[in-house]
Amino acid sequence: MLKAEALSKHYNGTPALSDLDLEVNPGDIYCLLGANGAGKSTTIRLFLNFISATSGRALVNGMEVSAEPLETKKYLAYIPEQVMLYPHLTGAENLEYFAALSGHDDYDRGRIEEFLTRSGLQKDAHHERVGTYSKGMRQKVGIAVALAKQAGALLLDEPTSGLDPEASNEFSLLLRQLRDDGVAILMATHDLFRAKEVGSRVGIMRRGVLRAELDPAELGHADLERIYLEHMHD
Amino acid sequence: MFGHIIRKEVIETLRDGRFRWGAALVGLLLVLSLAAGFAQRAEVERAHAQAQSMSWSQWLDQGDKNPHSAAHYGIYVFRPVSSLSLVDRGVDSYVGATTWLEAHYQNPFEHRAIQDTPALARFADLTAATTLQLLVPLLILLLAFATFSGERERGTLRQVLSLGVNPRTLATGKALGVGLALALLLIPAAALGALALMAAGPGGEAVADEGLRYLLLVLTYSAYFGVIVLLAVAVSALAPSSRTALALLLCFWIVNGLLAPRVASDVARSQVELPSSLEFQETVQRDRSEGFGEFPSQQLRQELLVDSVLAAHGVEELANLPFNFAGLSLQRSEEFGDLVFDRRFGDLANQVEAQLEVHRRIGFLAPHLAVRSLSMSLTGTDPAHHQRYAEAAEEHRRLIQRIMNTDIMENSRFGESYIAGPELWAEVPEFEYEGPEASWAVAGQGTAIAAILFWLLLGGLLVRVGTSVSARRV
Repeated sequence: MLKAEALSKHYNGTPALSDLDLEVNPGDIYCLLGANGAGKSTTIRLFLNFISATSGRALVNGMEVSAEPLETKKYLAYIPEQVMLYPHLTGAENLEYFAALSGHDDYDRGRIEEFLTRSGLQKDAHHERVGTYSKGMRQKVGIAVALAKQAGALLLDEPTSGLDPEASNEFSLLLRQLRDDGVAILMATHDLFRAKEVGSRVGIMRRGVLRAELDPAELGHADLERIYLEHMHD
Repeated sequence: MFGHIIRKEVIETLRDGRFRWGAALVGLLLVLSLAAGFAQRAEVERAHAQAQSMSWSQWLDQGDKNPHSAAHYGIYVFRPVSSLSLVDRGVDSYVGATTWLEAHYQNPFEHRAIQDTPALARFADLTAATTLQLLVPLLILLLAFATFSGERERGTLRQVLSLGVNPRTLATGKALGVGLALALLLIPAAALGALALMAAGPGGEAVADEGLRYLLLVLTYSAYFGVIVLLAVAVSALAPSSRTALALLLCFWIVNGLLAPRVASDVARSQVELPSSLEFQETVQRDRSEGFGEFPSQQLRQELLVDSVLAAHGVEELANLPFNFAGLSLQRSEEFGDLVFDRRFGDLANQVEAQLEVHRRIGFLAPHLAVRSLSMSLTGTDPAHHQRYAEAAEEHRRLIQRIMNTDIMENSRFGESYIAGPELWAEVPEFEYEGPEASWAVAGQGTAIAAILFWLLLGGLLVRVGTSVSARRV
């Protein structure tokens, strides 16, 4: 579903991402671990064609994103680290708007509320203006936007930042459901614990290079942390 | 999808306090300026009609006298005021309200309202046209400067584009959304204007086709606001930040609305020089007494006329002619004067028109000038409409002279003191003016219409460029 082939991005000669090869299939949750500046967000932005690759290819459903920027986005849903919404609109209105723009302009009020509830947004906030929302609440609307798109692939850039542990846990459950429904998920995160818990594979990145690919099922939490730190310090 | 984008823009706009206050203020100004325009027109129209009918009664009741004295007594005519002038007063205040139809002279129009106005009051001359041409665009800019840049800064643009929305669809939807929010303010205003127009009635006969003209006026302003919306959306997409977008758009607003009209006046003046009033009168006077081109001086013309008339009738003395030579001589002198007036006033009108064409051409650089020209023309308050009225009044003056001089020629003898009475005064028809149709007004505005279409095209093009730039800058 998502595939990177020797994908590289340089900014004025400084590599932000070097020769990334990666594949995320339906039913996979691929967690990219790494410090700030490791190239995780760059990878996600390349898949969204927000930036163009210096070399290599990013493919979605077999199509190259730079060649088919609009078509490939139909298969993608994206949750950024900070979900931004229209403060003058209510949560439900925001979701309705984003859903309509992703091609689902047929959702009725019940359906919209269902997505919001599934994302963990409390009922009494659905019809409040987003200007009054906390960061966590906005994040949940962002999750609902991604759910409502019903896309084949999910690109998550630190999606749980700002969520409390309980909401984070609910989000993990949601990800597992989506995985079981055959969605391909690529998640950039700092959260080793979460990665170990939900990831079907974990990639460790540093300075734009994918240093290791691990199967978290074969590792304990402590092992993962040890390997991660090894890669960070050499 | 368009529907959703438009709806979201409208909802956001309506919930935004800045828009509500701005729109309320502009709406209030529109209502006030329409009311002021309505009252002003009604008053001027009533005063003009009253004065003209008084002058006409005085003409009829002037008593027994020589027809040439009556011709000198003359009639005052007062320019009818277009009912559409309640929207746009154009140059009405600057061109004079009345002229005196008297023997020998085509008089310029006198009594310019502006002469009675203290200089400071000129700034406060609030008309619906000023509000529409200056304040509504300002409201649009404040409404639309952040359509793209604001979303980029807030981060929502990135999310919207991640959904796979075509940026062009987004831009079109946004432009339409701003337009619709604006329509919520302007459609009631247009309806109010139509009501005021109906209440004002067709009085004055200053223009024909008032309904059609009003419709075209609404269309003109809609196109102008369309231009401003497109420019605002385009700049918002192109500018690196909302602050830059706002600064750029305000610069445009100042140049377009405040600077361009003054620069255009200077350019027009330097390209086409108009004679001063004094120079003009001297030239006319010189042409009449000294002749011009193939025409000899007044004295020589008179001698030639005497010789040719005597020869034609085979008589030695003017007194022996079968008609009163005095009447013929007066009429010939009138006709020569008419040649001079046609030439000199015609030149002047052409020069004024050439200056206005310069203004319209500058409309390609500043759309405000094109809209202003169209607006004045459609409301019947531009110099061309005034010129047309002046020509009709001059025709009437010539008719009066012909009737008086023919009467002298046919009903009196050379050298006798001749007195005519009210029957002769009543032979002169009362002056009636029929205003031009909408098509006449539009016909002179080709350049202005082309300029507005050019700006619509340019705006659309800039939005296209802006959206592709914007899509790559998230």
